[in-house]
Amino acid sequence: MNAATDTAAATSSRFGTFALVFGICFAILYVVCEMGAFPMFTYHPGIDRIDPGFAPPRRDEGPAMYWYGWIATSALGASILGFLGALLPEKIRGQIPLALAWAVPVALVPVVIYSLRFYWRW
Amino acid sequence: MDFVLDYISVNTFWTILSTTHALLAVALLGALTHQAAAVLAPPRAGAAGGFVTHFRSVSGPRYAAAVCVLWVLVFIFGAWIYVRYRVHVRIFIEQEGLWKTVGAFDLKEQLVTIGLGLLPVYWNFWKNARNAAYDSARKWLTIVLAAICWYSFLTGHVVNNVRGFGL
Repeated sequence: MNAATDTAAATSSRFGTFALVFGICFAILYVVCEMGAFPMFTYHPGIDRIDPGFAPPRRDEGPAMYWYGWIATSALGASILGFLGALLPEKIRGQIPLALAWAVPVALVPVVIYSLRFYWRW
Repeated sequence: MDFVLDYISVNTFWTILSTTHALLAVALLGALTHQAAAVLAPPRAGAAGGFVTHFRSVSGPRYAAAVCVLWVLVFIFGAWIYVRYRVHVRIFIEQEGLWKTVGAFDLKEQLVTIGLGLLPVYWNFWKNARNAAYDSARKWLTIVLAAICWYSFLTGHVVNNVRGFGL
């Protein structure tokens, strides 16, 4: 391989590590944010207002939406961790199991179902 | 977007968005199902060319970019109409005491978001489709995304049936 190909491969590998770490961390952080109520912001659709962080719904102002805020928190955290992961030496980057990309989301499904236990009324 | 409402009613506007969301979801479901079938049960060399064989004979890498774009588009439209759902649909469903329907929809919301975060690694796995080291992870991640897509599609369909159009 010539130098250009080597660089391309290294970049690809760094992107691959970023993508892998991002995907794993995003899933975990999202579930943590959802269960712990850690939105970056709260959207009040009834009055079209955005509050920073977690803001409970107020009387006569309609529901509060946290989903967008959870995504923002998770995306920021996962991006930082993915970036840090991409900076790791190649020897360490190669040790991250690729199977975590699908195993972590599958493992989180029961956790998410449990987090919604309020709705599973019979 | 308020200028649009000078020409069409509010209900028509949200119905168009909801229908677009659904049509894009159909395309995504088809693409992911073909791709999942191709990795789960690849056709044997020399197999007869029946419907099932053709169904699973697609070139997975050719679908990867389309799946990513469609997932993002469906997600954007879903996030857009989610506001309307939260204010005008969910409250009605809660008042009717259909808690499992609300829970099923919330589960869809969580799963598609997790799926969104997996798209970069999914794309990277398929971009390196000739790298055998990625074969197993690529196969199972594709199946996981297809399962999320199927669950979300069916749940969205059920919730739409509960409340219907004319939100």
